[in-house]
Amino acid sequence: MAESNSIRVRLVTPDKIFIDGTADSVSVPSCSGYLEVLYAHAPLLAELGPGEVTLHGGDVGDQQLFVSQGFVEVLPDRVTILAESAIPPGEIDVAAAREELELGHKMWNEAGEDSERFAKADRVIREAEERIAAAERAGKSA
Amino acid sequence: MANVLDLRRRIRSVKNTRQITKAMKMVAAAKLRRSQERAFAARPYARMISSVLASLVRRVDIYDQDTGEAKHPLLIARPEKRVTVVVVTGDKGFAGPFNANVLKATHRFIDEQSQLDVDLEIVGRKGIGVLRRSYSMASIAGDEHPAHISRTRTRQARVEITGEHGGMLDKLTFEKAAELAHTLVDRYATQETDAVYLVFNEFQSVIAQRIVVERILPIMEVGKPDIAGVTEMEREEREEMARAAHSAGVSLQAEDTSQADEEASKFGTAQVDYIYEQPPSELMGALLPRYISTQLYHAMLESVAAEQAARMTAMDAATNNASDMIDAYTLTMNRLRQAAITKEIIEIVSGAAAI
Repeated sequence: MAESNSIRVRLVTPDKIFIDGTADSVSVPSCSGYLEVLYAHAPLLAELGPGEVTLHGGDVGDQQLFVSQGFVEVLPDRVTILAESAIPPGEIDVAAAREELELGHKMWNEAGEDSERFAKADRVIREAEERIAAAERAGKSA
Repeated sequence: MANVLDLRRRIRSVKNTRQITKAMKMVAAAKLRRSQERAFAARPYARMISSVLASLVRRVDIYDQDTGEAKHPLLIARPEKRVTVVVVTGDKGFAGPFNANVLKATHRFIDEQSQLDVDLEIVGRKGIGVLRRSYSMASIAGDEHPAHISRTRTRQARVEITGEHGGMLDKLTFEKAAELAHTLVDRYATQETDAVYLVFNEFQSVIAQRIVVERILPIMEVGKPDIAGVTEMEREEREEMARAAHSAGVSLQAEDTSQADEEASKFGTAQVDYIYEQPPSELMGALLPRYISTQLYHAMLESVAAEQAARMTAMDAATNNASDMIDAYTLTMNRLRQAAITKEIIEIVSGAAAI
C-alpha cells in the first residue's frame, strides 16, 4: 500500500455511499475554489461548494459527479466527501436549474438591505449557474 | 340459527378478506425491507456528520473566552418557554397501533409540559387528521416567510399547529427533510422557539422499536441523542412482530454495520492539525444546521420503516384472525349439515318403521 500513490476516495450522500474506491488524484470543489488532491496531501477540512468532483485513475476509473453542499476531509491517504446531493453531470435537469437561477435572481432583487438574504440568493444563483455549466460541459464531451 | 348456505357465503367473504390482508402484509414486508435498507444506507452520512462536528467542537473554542457564551446560536440553551414539537406519524392507516402510539406520546408530552407554549409541526397525514381535532392552527397574518412567524402571529391557545407536512414520507427525500429542518433552525436562531423536540418511532430492527421524544435543539452534546422520554415496545407486541416478520420472510437481525459505522465515525477526527479552508467558526455554522437536517431525515426514515413493520404485523394478525374465523365457521357449518343429515335419516327410518 505504502508505495502506491493512490488515495482512497469516498463520496457519501445522505442516501448512500456513492463512491468507495481509489484514485490517483481527485479534484474537489471547495467553497472557495477547486482543490486538486494527490497522495500525501496535508490534512484539510473544507466546506464544499457547488461543482464537480473528478476522479482520475484508480480502480473506479475516471468519474465525474456534480455535488453540492457538504464537506470534504482530506487526509494523506484518503479523501472523504460528504455531499447533500451527487449526480452525474449528464443527468442534470437543465430546465430545473434555469428555474432555480431565475428564482435566485428574484431573491437577489427582493433582498433589499438584508445581507443574510443576499448571501442566500447568492448561493442559489451560484449553485444554479454551476449546475447549468456542468450540464453543458457534459453535453459537449458526450 | 344460520343455515348452511348463509355460513358458506360468510366463509367465502372472510376468505376474500383474508386474501386482501395477506396481500397487504406481503406488500408491507417488501416495503419494510426497502425502507430498512434505506435507513441503513443513510447511516454512514449521519455518523460522519456527527463525528466531524464532534471533533470540530473539541478543537474550536465554541465558547467566547471573555463572556463564556457559546458562539453559535444553535448551541445556546435558553430557559424553555415556547417549544416546538415535531410529530412524525404515517401517511396511511391500517398499521395497527403505530399512529396512535406516536400521538399518545405526543399528548402525554404536551400534558406534562403544561407551563409551556407548544407549537406543533406535524409530519404525516394521520397525525394531521387527529391533532387538528384537538388543536387549532396558529393564526398567522399574511403569508410572510413561514420561518419567521412570531412577528405577525397572535397566539390564541397554549398549543397551536404551526405546520403540516402531509405526503412527504411516501417518497422521502433529503431535501424535504432539510427544508423542514431549516425552518426549525431559523426559528430557533431567531428565538421564536426555545427548544425543538422530535416525537417519532425509532427503528433499530423489527423487534427493537420504541417511541422516542428527543430534543434536537439546542444541541447539547454532539452525537449523543438528548432523549426526553421513551416508550418501549411491550413484550407481546415484540413477539407478534417477530412472528409476522418470520412468516413474511423478513430477517430479524439488524444488518451488521458495525465496521462501516466505525469507519464512518473516524471521519474528521484524525489526530492531526487540519488546515481549515474556511475559518472553523464558519465551518461550524455550515455544519450545525446540516446536523439537524440529518437527524430529522434519519428519524423520518426510521419512522417509515417502523410504520411498515407495524402494518405488516397488523395485517399478519388480521390474516390469522380471518383463518380462525374460517375454521370456526367451517366447523359450525359441518355440524349443521351433519345435524340436517341425521334428521333426514331419522325421518326416513321412522317413516319406514311406520309402514
